[in-house]
Amino acid sequence: MVGFYLDAIAALILFGVGLYGVTSKSDFLKIFFSLEMLLNSVILLLASAAYHFGLTKGLAIAYVIIVIATLEAAAGVLIFILTNRITGEIIPDNLNKAVEDE
Amino acid sequence: MSVLILALAIILAVMSLVQKNTVPAVIAFVSMMFLLGVYYILLGEKLLGLFQIFVYTGGIVVLTLFGVTVIGSKFPEFKIRPWAVSVVTIVIIGLLIVPFLIPDIPIEGKVIPLKDQVKIFTDFYSLIAIFMGVVAASILYGSIRMLHTLKYGKE
Repeated sequence: MVGFYLDAIAALILFGVGLYGVTSKSDFLKIFFSLEMLLNSVILLLASAAYHFGLTKGLAIAYVIIVIATLEAAAGVLIFILTNRITGEIIPDNLNKAVEDE
Repeated sequence: MSVLILALAIILAVMSLVQKNTVPAVIAFVSMMFLLGVYYILLGEKLLGLFQIFVYTGGIVVLTLFGVTVIGSKFPEFKIRPWAVSVVTIVIIGLLIVPFLIPDIPIEGKVIPLKDQVKIFTDFYSLIAIFMGVVAASILYGSIRMLHTLKYGKE
């Protein structure tokens, strides 16, 4: 029981770090890292629930989340390479201005 | 042991966001994912742990390093957003307080045990994570199409 609470607190802190990254950072790579942290906090909680309570249904969901994270990674890398080609940097805030200047 | 691994994983997560150079940030991110994979193996979920290690430290990081070769070794300067800290603080405090504010729901005179409360999370709320992930992936794909159109549509 204590182990589950420990995992839950760790998942909450990881979720907080990821949320801070998504809201505060302004380059694609760190936003991408933060999104992965958000997804991994959920996976950690699901794995902990499966271990402590035997709820293995959550594990199937965890596998699906990992697959979606992989797809997001591929799409994210494509986005920041394309952004880098268009604007010369990887800051999404300047993208609109750069496209209008073209 | 588990406390050590989780604490180290959180420290590495913070380090990956704080670093000013790209390669140390990627290395901290890889180490965090590897530690989480090891922790899943320690929890008895070998397949999930190995899947995590192979996918994250194998696939995603190679993709990220390929991106890093394009963008260079340093992160660009950015404006500090002070409201982000307050938003995160409010969300975290809210998530911490809400379970204590909600009273235990008695059904037929019995209080729902913790196992059943967690079962509600695994059966319902975790599906929301998948839904949000699919939405995020769709938005990313749409952004790629938009960027491609903006770049090559005008030429």
